[in-house]
Amino acid sequence: MDLVIVVFLYGLVTALATGLGAVPFAFVRQLSPRITAQSNAVASGLMLGASFGLVAEGTQYGGWQTIIGGVGGVLFILVTHTILKRYDLEFGGSRGVGARRALLMLVVMTVHSFAEGVAVGVSFGGGMTLALVIVIAIAVHNIPEGLAISAVMRPRGTSVLGCAMWSVVSSLPQPIMAVPAFLLVDTFTRVLPYGIGFAAGAMVFMVIEELLPEAYGQDQRHGVAITVSVTLLAMVIFQQHL
Amino acid sequence: MFAAIGTVEPTLVVLLYSSLAAGVAAAGVLPLAGGRTLPTHWIGWSNALAGGLMLGVAYALLVSAHDPVPLGGALGGLLGILVVNRTHAASGTANLDLNRLHETSPDYGYKVLLVNGIHSAAEGVAIGAAMAVNLSFGVFTALAIAVHNVPEGTVLAAILTSRRVRLRDAAGLAVATNAGQVLLAIVTFALIVAAPGLMPWALGFAVGSLVYLVLAELLPECYREAGSTSIALVTLVAMGVVALLVSLGPGG
Repeated sequence: MDLVIVVFLYGLVTALATGLGAVPFAFVRQLSPRITAQSNAVASGLMLGASFGLVAEGTQYGGWQTIIGGVGGVLFILVTHTILKRYDLEFGGSRGVGARRALLMLVVMTVHSFAEGVAVGVSFGGGMTLALVIVIAIAVHNIPEGLAISAVMRPRGTSVLGCAMWSVVSSLPQPIMAVPAFLLVDTFTRVLPYGIGFAAGAMVFMVIEELLPEAYGQDQRHGVAITVSVTLLAMVIFQQHL
Repeated sequence: MFAAIGTVEPTLVVLLYSSLAAGVAAAGVLPLAGGRTLPTHWIGWSNALAGGLMLGVAYALLVSAHDPVPLGGALGGLLGILVVNRTHAASGTANLDLNRLHETSPDYGYKVLLVNGIHSAAEGVAIGAAMAVNLSFGVFTALAIAVHNVPEGTVLAAILTSRRVRLRDAAGLAVATNAGQVLLAIVTFALIVAAPGLMPWALGFAVGSLVYLVLAELLPECYREAGSTSIALVTLVAMGVVALLVSLGPGG
């Protein structure tokens, strides 16, 4: 098989794995304010942990480039947010603020998949053995990302299947970006820290601006703090051991 | 500066820089000099700035070892979260807001001082553990915490001066609540030097407790004082500066 198709298919597998993140929500019946707060806290911890890992990786390629990318990521969310505010949105089973937050989450996670796709493609330049390990790693680490997306969308009325589907959609840029990154390794290696910074900046901003205030509004602050800190640590360790 | 550190007795370096970090808290009263009062949103931004710097330090400690976090690190992290959580609960400070400028009960005043004392103990462990990784990284961490102590001192001083505590006494109390930092920094450093196996535990403990403190203490009330967008921006800038310095800086 053509190597380009192999890269694409591997990328597709990593995207499909994201859908598994919705599975825990098949077992949660009642979505009380406390569950919404805790779901937001889980998503926050996962995204902060993922960003810590991304920044550590990005700064190895270039510190300034990662930070410049991060500024871009924050600006991107600010602009997207401003645009979304102008419309009375209906998305994934909710309206208004809930719909905007769910859509913003999806945009953030999709954008972050672009950077991850580039990381997958670039890693193929290091040879097929390493690449396979990295693809499995990314597929497995996409599961908590699907969990983060579902944790934000499910309490706002999206069905479990809908959560799984949107999680996969958010990861589709991975196979799409992996191919050109593989073909043009040198070019993309230079772009990588910017992309990683962009993804991390957008995710951290989303967490602090949107998810945490909502979580604090619906549960005791130490309950939120415990969930976020434990999830953050677990995500960092999980990524490092893959 | 970092080259000269190698010639000084290591414990003295820990003592000097952790004392510097504690002492700098006094500078937090400067925005209040001349009887000025602080607008509420400035208190929010000060807390966000302090929180962002602290998350940055937690990030620096997490990536400092370069290796995957071992089991001891993970357990240390959980222990750090648990210890701060239980200390808050036991001292009745779990839901304490650090922004009530018009609260006059003596109880509130003592609790604010207590919560600042608990807070600084975790920072002391962070400085001690970072010094044990290597002294340059320790100095970097101590300086980051020193900068973090300034906005924290401002918030404390704003509460104290609104309770008619004189400005110079507020400055003294800001430093005094950070005294635990110096002690814990030296104890942590000495313990790791004596038993290097404790290193991942101490680093994990510091990361867990710092992250928990930001989320339980510094961030929640910020949002009520200033909008969530400005809070997110201030926090992110502080985190970004620390992350950038870690990537450019000395042997992180």
